[in-house]
This record gives sequence, C-alpha cells and structure tokens, in this order.
Amino acid sequence: MLQFILRRLLMLIPVIIGLTIIMFAIARLLPGDPVGLAAGPNATQAEIAALAAEYGLDQPIWVQYWHYVTGLLHGDLGTSLLTRRPVATDIAAYLPATLELVLAAMAIAIVIGIPLGLVTAVWRNKWPDYLSQIAAIGAISMPRFFLGLLLQLCFAMWLMWLPLGGRLPIIVIPPPTITGFLTIDSLLAGEWSTFTLALRHLALPAIAMSLSPLATIMRMMRSSTIEVMQQDYVMTARALGLAPRLIITKYVARNAVSATLTVIGLYFGWLLGGTVLVETVFDWPGLGLYATKAIVSQDMMPVIGVALVIGLMFVIANLIIDVLYGIINPKVRYS
Amino acid sequence: MKTSPHLNLTRRSLLALAGVGLASTVFPRAMFAQNTAVMVIASGQDIPNFDPHTATGYSASFFMRNVYDPLVRVSGNPPEPVPALAASWEASADGKEYTFKLNPDAKFHSGAPVTADDVVYSFQRALRLAKGNSWMIRDIVTPEGVTAVDAGTVKFTLAVPFAPFLQVLPWIFIVEKAVVEANLGTDDGQTWLLTNTAASGPFTVGRFQPGTLYQLARAETAWQAGGGNLAGVIWQIIHETATQRLMIQRGEAQIAVDLTSEDMDALKDAPGVVRVLEPEYRTFSIKMNTAYGPCSDINMRKAISYATNYQAIIDAAGYAELMTGPLPNGILGFNPDLAVYRMDLDKAKEHLAQTKTPEGGIKLRMVHVSGLEQQRRWALIMLDSLKALNIDLEIMPMNWPDMVAACKSPETFPDLFPVYQTANYGDPDNIAYAAYHSSRNGGWQNAVYHNPEVDALIEAGRSEVDTNKRIEIYHKFQEAVVADAPDIFGVLEKRRLAMRDNVKNYHFTPVASNAIEVFGLSME
Repeated sequence: MLQFILRRLLMLIPVIIGLTIIMFAIARLLPGDPVGLAAGPNATQAEIAALAAEYGLDQPIWVQYWHYVTGLLHGDLGTSLLTRRPVATDIAAYLPATLELVLAAMAIAIVIGIPLGLVTAVWRNKWPDYLSQIAAIGAISMPRFFLGLLLQLCFAMWLMWLPLGGRLPIIVIPPPTITGFLTIDSLLAGEWSTFTLALRHLALPAIAMSLSPLATIMRMMRSSTIEVMQQDYVMTARALGLAPRLIITKYVARNAVSATLTVIGLYFGWLLGGTVLVETVFDWPGLGLYATKAIVSQDMMPVIGVALVIGLMFVIANLIIDVLYGIINPKVRYS
Repeated sequence: MKTSPHLNLTRRSLLALAGVGLASTVFPRAMFAQNTAVMVIASGQDIPNFDPHTATGYSASFFMRNVYDPLVRVSGNPPEPVPALAASWEASADGKEYTFKLNPDAKFHSGAPVTADDVVYSFQRALRLAKGNSWMIRDIVTPEGVTAVDAGTVKFTLAVPFAPFLQVLPWIFIVEKAVVEANLGTDDGQTWLLTNTAASGPFTVGRFQPGTLYQLARAETAWQAGGGNLAGVIWQIIHETATQRLMIQRGEAQIAVDLTSEDMDALKDAPGVVRVLEPEYRTFSIKMNTAYGPCSDINMRKAISYATNYQAIIDAAGYAELMTGPLPNGILGFNPDLAVYRMDLDKAKEHLAQTKTPEGGIKLRMVHVSGLEQQRRWALIMLDSLKALNIDLEIMPMNWPDMVAACKSPETFPDLFPVYQTANYGDPDNIAYAAYHSSRNGGWQNAVYHNPEVDALIEAGRSEVDTNKRIEIYHKFQEAVVADAPDIFGVLEKRRLAMRDNVKNYHFTPVASNAIEVFGLSME
C-alpha cells in the first residue's frame, strides 16, 4: 500500500504542472486589462507599464511561467495585483475556513446520508423510503445559496437560535491558530465557550452545504445496498438464519459503502470548488470568496493559486478514498 | 476565550453572553457596541492593505482617514479644507506657493513629533511609488518642490498653479519617516506597510482578520483635540447588503454603507434607524463613441440625447437626481440653469435626418457591467428609447476588466458605454479632468472624447485661483460639453447610508462619504 501511496503522491507533480500550464494559458488568452484595472483609472500608460514590470507581467509568458514554477518550489504563489499581498499568505488565511466548512458539511452528509440510505433500502417501497426519496429530490434540486437564505431567515431572523454569519462573534478573539479550524483550535486551547460559538456559527452554512451531498450519498447508499442485498452471500446468510440486523450491519453495509466512497471523494472536490455562494450569504471568509473577487478582477495569481490548492486537495482526498477502499474491503488490491 | 483588550469587556460578562442560550451569538455585538462605545460599520469591501501610498478604494480611504493624518482634512457640504496636521496655511497670490505650519502637538503613534521632514518624505514617497492617490498631485507637486523650511513649516512650490490643491491634500497621508526607513526592505517599505502602520491618526490598528474585520482603537497618543466618545471602531466585512440591513435593524452594526434602494425602502420607519440619503458627487452617464462609428457624428449623438427617456432613467434609479450637464449638482461652478437635452422626439428626428442614416435602420452596441442590474435596466431603457428612431441596440453584458480593455482604442470602444464616476476630491476639476480631458483617452473615464476647446477650459479651470473666474470658466466648460453631446447625462445617485439613532454628531460630506471619518462621532 505504501508503494501505491507514494506512486499516487508522485502523480501530483504532473497534476501541478498541468494545472499551472492550463491556468497560465487561460490567463494569457483572456481578454481584459488586469494591470490597467489594478493601476487605477487615473494611472498613466507609463505607470501601468511600471506596474506590469514590477510584477513581471511584461515578460513573455514562458518567462513568467518559469518564474512562477521556480517560486512554487519555495512556497511562493506570487503576489495579488489588487491587494499587493502574497497569495500564499492569503490562501493560508482563507483555506482553513473553507476546509472547516466543507469537512463539516461532508461529516453531516456522511453521518446522516449513509444510515438513511441503509434504512431506505431495507424499507424499500415503504413510506420511509418514499419520504426520503422526495426529500432527497428536494435537497438536490434546491440551490445552496437559496437554502442558505431560507435557513438564515428561519433560524437567525425568526427563531434567533443561530447567528446570521461569520465564524465567531466580532467581540471574540479567535484562539491561537494551530490548525486554522476554529472548532479544533478552541478545543485545543481549552476554550469551551469559543468552541460552542464557533460551532453555532458553523451550523447553518454547513447544513446549507451538506444537503445536496447528503441526498446523493443517501441515494447511492440505497441503490448499492439494494444491489448487495440481492447477492448470493446475503441470501446464504439469510438461509443460514443469521439475524437480519447482523446481516445488514456486518455484511451488507460494509460492501455497499465501497461504492458510496467514490461519490464522497468526488463531492469533496465539488464542495471545495463550490463554496462561494454559501460563503457570500454567510460572510464566511473562505477561499471561494477570495477566488471570486480575484476572478472578477482578472487578478490571475490568486486564481491560479486557488486552482492549484483545490486541485491538490481533490487529488489527496481521492487518494484517501482509495486507501479507505482497501481498509473497508480487504479484497481490494493496490497495483 | 479571550476578548479584545480594546473592548473593555470582562471575561465573566463574555462568558455570561456565551451562556445565555440560543440568542447568545446574536446579541453580544449589540451589547458590546452600546456599552463600550465601539462602533461597528458594516461594509462589503475588504481593506486591501495599510500602505497609505499604494492602497485604493473606499475601504482603504476609511482606514487612512482614521489611522493616518493628512495635512488638511475635508469637511462640510460643500466640502471645505479644515486643519489636520497643518494648523494653518498661506497661499501665494499666483497659487503656486503654499506654506503650512504644522500643529506642534501633532505626534505619531510612536510618540515622536510630526515634523516637516516627515511631510516632505511622505510626498516624495507617494510620488516615487506613483500608486494609490499619487495621481492627484502628479505633475503638480515635484519631489524638489516640497521642502522643509524648519521643523514645523513645510513649503510647496507647485510646478503649475493648481486651484484644487487644498482639496487633494486630504488624500495624501503622512507617514513617520524614521519608522518606514527602518523597515525599507527592497521595495521602499511597501511590504512592511502592507500590515503595519507608521501613522499619527486618532486610531491605531487593534486587530484584523482579512476578509472578516478590522478593529481600530483610540490611539493612546491621540493628539487631536475634541472628537467623540468612541473607544474604537470595527470595519466588518458583510458581503450581502440584505445582511447589512438586518444588522442595522438588530443593532449589531451602527452604520451600514453599501445599501441598495430596496434596502433603504425596507428601512423606512424601522425603529431606531436613521436613513441618510444625500446627493453625492458621483455621476452616472452613458458615454458615446465620439471618435468611431455612427456616434462620431454629432447629429447622431444629439439625436440619441433627445430620444432618451430621462424620466424612465430617473424612475429606474431609485434615490437619485437627474444630472444637468457634465458636473455633479451643487459642486463649485455647477450651472443649474444650463440648457440640457430632455426627451423631444421631434428634435431627435431632426438631428437624425442630418446624419448618414436619416431613417435609422442601424444597430448600435451598448455594453454594461455583467451582473449590475441597475446598468442593465438603463440599457433596456436605451433600447426602448432608440426604437423611436428605428435604431436597434445590441446589449452586451461584460466583465469590468473586459470593459476597461475595450477603452484602449476607438475601434474597440462600444457605441454606448455606461459609467459611474466618483469625485475623489471636492472640486469640479476632478470630474472635468478625468471625464473630459483628452489626456485621459484610452482609459475608462474618457476613452475617446477629445475637444481642444474643452481641454483648454479644463486647464484654465484648474490653474485659475480666483473663485469667481473659475465659476465662469466652468460655466463655459459645461456649455461646450453639452454642445458636443459626448455623453447622455444620466443621474446623480444619492448616497445611501443607514445608522442607528444612537450615533451622534454625524455630518454628511459629499466626498468619500462611505469612507466615514469616525473621530468626531459619538455613541449614546
């Protein structure tokens, strides 16, 4: 397995090179005048040219690319034209917020989706199944930002149970940064009240993000459970008189969850790249908002940096999923 | 859990807040803001960085106005220069020499006094970097032209007479030379000043989380006399205007600066909320391609100007006033009696008859910023207006960077180009020079319009120091521009701010009114 993991990690190199080449090419092909925009409406042509030279944007694209790649080796992701801050510093500030949100959403989706999929498969064509199916279609088809607004209206405005947005109340100083996840860092610092506050702030955006993957995981789990339940070894187990609960939990669920893992891996990447609307609605200071501002201004260094980080995350998440296959199903062999 | 040292909130009270159950995450902001005179301002714009000589945008202006000091500040309506670091000043009769006496009490946050050397260094650094607001003094102030007469006196010898000089000074901020020099690095201190300050303003940076909030606290060394009772202020980034509105309604923010007309409607009669709806020096007009295509014919431009449904434009604008010519209503030299185009289809057809296409039958292209609903509405009004002339209009939503790129040449500039222009300083020269002087051609503020007579009037207006003569010049300027019809003069949108009724001593100034100067404000 170690060889397999190392091989997959080595595959990250072509992924990084491919991503940077594609992003650089897009940046070059796009119309627009990002330097002129960053220089401001009152800049002279000489000032615009000076700014372009300062950021190396007057160089041929292959020279720019070479500088970028050599910078990458030193952890330098370039500098934002608009904020003039290093992109790596910005991403380090925004990524933990997005990761915390996505992981919380995935946790909700997995913890509820898998058992619900099992239950609906076992009670196939009965009312819990029908009810779940209808709810799943609703959850998949509802746009996340709209769901976010509804949740805000209901739980923050009417019931006033949860806050409107942000990661913490502005009066609270965040705990010392260790992981960047406010929930974990507050626990590590022993600040229980901060943990509670962070959890309350996380609840609504995480729920808004989780419903679509929850519904998909549930449906996937349902169909694969039904398929597994029709396998010969399950029939044999039944014929041998094993308890139905034991058959479901020990033999069916374990096999059915393998197929669902693929969906979980794919959804992780999808959520990472698609947080912007929820982040906007809940003022969640994450990567999605950062990338969107950069895209709108054609500030390409942050865009390339974010694409790179999300790409890497996606590959790593799928590597973890592949490893999990083997843990859950020993029949899987790595090659 | 720790709270900010600047908030004066005890651990016990904060724990109590955290424990009061379901509403505990909703109300602390309001309670803390009311009990400790820390004001929360909700805004959609992040502060790009802390360098007063490179950062731009209204969020940066808010930061600089409260953390740094300029020589003079701007106050009142109409805006007038008032003392800041400079306690007094004198100008020579020809408007080329200005001498400023610094306030002897002025000191930086480090405790060091503000000297003439710091002022000279700051102006020279701004000019050297040629970023941020330096364009305001470009070709006016030269590095050699600013000198320290003594520790408390600075003299400017301008390259050319520049009547709005005192109006641009509020936007050039003074840094502490010794601190910047100690952190120069390889880029003139730019990297260090991204997240550090060398300032003398009434507030210092307490803490900040990019993309979330910036907390300023009253400087221990604050030397400015008077002021309100604020111990601090928080610039909180709230992207959705609807959320800003909710925060104002619930008392979680004391001021919201990015509200839409719909938000302002919703806040009408809201308890405890004061709406501020004031005309600002921010114009909306639709520029025509005077150098290429059908609109290069003055008769076509006049036909379009007369065909435009101005009533529909003002109706779609929400809280706004129709413009009367190229200058913002109320600014120095503005002529309220100027004869401008209003909808008159007979006159429109008369002018169309004098073009190469007297029956219309052509298609024009209008772009607008993608996603900006207000501009899309105005584009639809133009589509409808031009139908009366048998002219079709192709409406193209575009990203702003693409629109900026389209301004580089007359060939790529669309026939109709909607644009907002905000006065950065309270003088007619700002809009006149940026929007109508031919030296700006190729930029989005004035991509193609070029008229030597108008150029000469603009140059005369900025160099004339006699106010009455300036007014005369700007009257002529307005007549010349209207006669040329380079723009469809649209609306002056009112600034839409909302604040809680416990905010006191607020006075509106029509320049950078969303970059609020909080020093004078109090909270009850």
